[in-house]
Amino acid sequence: MAVASEPVDFVRRVARLGLWLAFLSSACQPPGEDAGAPFQVALLTSGPVSDAGWYAGAYEGLQMIADSFGAHISHQQTRTPAEFDEAFFAYASSGYDLIFAHGFEYQDAAIRAGAEFPETTIIVSAGGRVAHNVIPLIFQLEEGSYLAGIAAGSLTKTGVIGMVGGVAIPPAEGTFDAFEAGAKSVRPDVEVLVTWIGSWNDVTAAKEAAVALLRRDVDILIHNTDAASFGVFQAVREARGDGRDVWAMGMNRDQNDVAPELILGSAVIRIPEGFVEITRLWYDGDLPGEAYYAGSKASLVDYVVNPARVAEYTPELLALLEETRTGIREGTVDIPRIQFVSDEEANR
Amino acid sequence: MLTPGTRVNRLLRFGGLGVALAALLITGVVAVGALVAGGYDPGVALGALVRGAVGSPEQFFSVTLVRSVPLILTGLAVALAFRAGVWNIGAEGQLYAGAMAGVWIGLAAGDLPGWIVVPLVLVVASTAGAVWALVPTLMRLRLGVGEVITTILMNFVAIHLVGYMVHGPLQESRGVFPQTDALAAAARLPALIPGTRLHVGFAVAVLLGVALWLVLRGTVFGFRLRAVGQSPAAARITGRIDGKRVILVTFLASGALAGLAGAMEVSGRTFALYEGLSPGWGYTAIAVALLAGLHPMGVVAVGIMFGALEGGAGAMQREAGIPAAWVSGIEALVILAVLAAGQGRKWLVQTRLERGRPAEASVG
Repeated sequence: MAVASEPVDFVRRVARLGLWLAFLSSACQPPGEDAGAPFQVALLTSGPVSDAGWYAGAYEGLQMIADSFGAHISHQQTRTPAEFDEAFFAYASSGYDLIFAHGFEYQDAAIRAGAEFPETTIIVSAGGRVAHNVIPLIFQLEEGSYLAGIAAGSLTKTGVIGMVGGVAIPPAEGTFDAFEAGAKSVRPDVEVLVTWIGSWNDVTAAKEAAVALLRRDVDILIHNTDAASFGVFQAVREARGDGRDVWAMGMNRDQNDVAPELILGSAVIRIPEGFVEITRLWYDGDLPGEAYYAGSKASLVDYVVNPARVAEYTPELLALLEETRTGIREGTVDIPRIQFVSDEEANR
Repeated sequence: MLTPGTRVNRLLRFGGLGVALAALLITGVVAVGALVAGGYDPGVALGALVRGAVGSPEQFFSVTLVRSVPLILTGLAVALAFRAGVWNIGAEGQLYAGAMAGVWIGLAAGDLPGWIVVPLVLVVASTAGAVWALVPTLMRLRLGVGEVITTILMNFVAIHLVGYMVHGPLQESRGVFPQTDALAAAARLPALIPGTRLHVGFAVAVLLGVALWLVLRGTVFGFRLRAVGQSPAAARITGRIDGKRVILVTFLASGALAGLAGAMEVSGRTFALYEGLSPGWGYTAIAVALLAGLHPMGVVAVGIMFGALEGGAGAMQREAGIPAAWVSGIEALVILAVLAAGQGRKWLVQTRLERGRPAEASVG
């Protein structure tokens, strides 16, 4: 009776496996909470924290929180949006007080988790949805890009500057709008060319886009990508090797030391300091129930001149950059901004 | 009396679970070695792995079983195709096609009652998966182009089409982020066990596994499918089996299963379409299907095992601080061990076979 015995046999095997697993799980008890830590902080990223950029900055911020507050920290890299609910639930239900979800893609799951765990505070980097315990953390990188635009508009010889972007989402588009506005504020006839490659990390696509822009007379090239930035720098390096007078600019973090010979400066966001600042506000009970904008005021966003290339800048340009930086802080300089935050609880 | 042929089949199919356990054992040894070499406490790490997968009913239902759904469905898609000798490497693209179509119809029909919308989402998504498989099918049947290449290429088309959709026609109504609007409650899969994240998709996946198993072993079509898979020439010579028709139906059914997996994810877990929705389920499915010996019920068991592994891997990151790259490495070790064990099993069967009938073997 092979036909009848096979499924029975199969069920028996599965049942035996289940018993073994149950035995194993009962043998290892979950670790107790870190008794010495005042609170627990978790970080979720959709990419590797070894990217020397967006995710690396977040991980560094997490470690700074452990150092400055003595908090117990934990990190998980999620591979698909289908894991978001699971990760939020796992952290919130095991008593984590503050969860940094480092990317807009977490926002829907964060709203769901926030409603289920009102005691847990979730910070969504570049998020667009607010609840009383779900706070978007928005880095106003457009302020740094505006300064980069002033530098590029002043330093271009051909009068054509270019931008290579990752994915065309509002926070990234905002940086390019501001870059263009900054360049036109010093040279109204400057031509600005943009290419979106549709990926943050595709080095080859970024290089191809950069090569194409350089062929169209671009002599200063900025980017807003993650790991793909290496492709932009490589294209500029090769063009310089052919004797062309072209330059690159870094973005998101201080990339001046990535290729000091060809990077004029970087528009930076100081993610680690931003994380520490927001943790301090939360710890003191001062975190507002609305989006937190991290900008030049708290020096969380800036344009950093490459110290190795400072000779390219005239004293007048350096003075103009300083003056504009102060103007942005005091609110006297107008910068184009894209608003994309909506209040979920108010909308309900 | 069992003939040597059925004995081989039994060995191949029901040795599956034993091989899986052997593979896990080997991997366990290698993983512990790797963890020790990396300076991590293997006890803490593997403890987290087991707790994350089966540590509590909540973990088992809301993590392990939920994660097993796309693996079971794509695993069934691959197993069915491979049984008929159709090398469908395109479950990934078919899954994305299903996810796209499922979200589209779910958003369009979200105002209707749930008992209409949910089945509609699943049917439309399966159809989209089948349509995605239709191109490689026709290219194989009409032009003789190998489906290994065409299905892989169709994966890239689907992945880029998702990128276009979430930046274009299907982008959320605010037009800000590259994702679709969230599906209305009526278009979401109901919970299978209230209070957990386990949705009815799991029951559907298991029932489909049972159904496929019955079809393969108990119907004329199942017999024809296996005949075509084992020897297309022999099947043709009988004069009773239309090989092309069998391939057409199997290929489309395989695509439909993978498309259904996509719908289950958007309707059961994410409630919206994103780029990067699948972490390569369509490829992991090949390992799932092979480890299961291409047996539908084996796919269900192995799918749950992989779900446990992935759920536990998340806990390893959270509780033991093991970086994601290490966790992926350990998962890859499992798949390698599986493949090695699979080869070992074939070798075992072959040597037994030759010992059983030395004269025939030397003639053949």
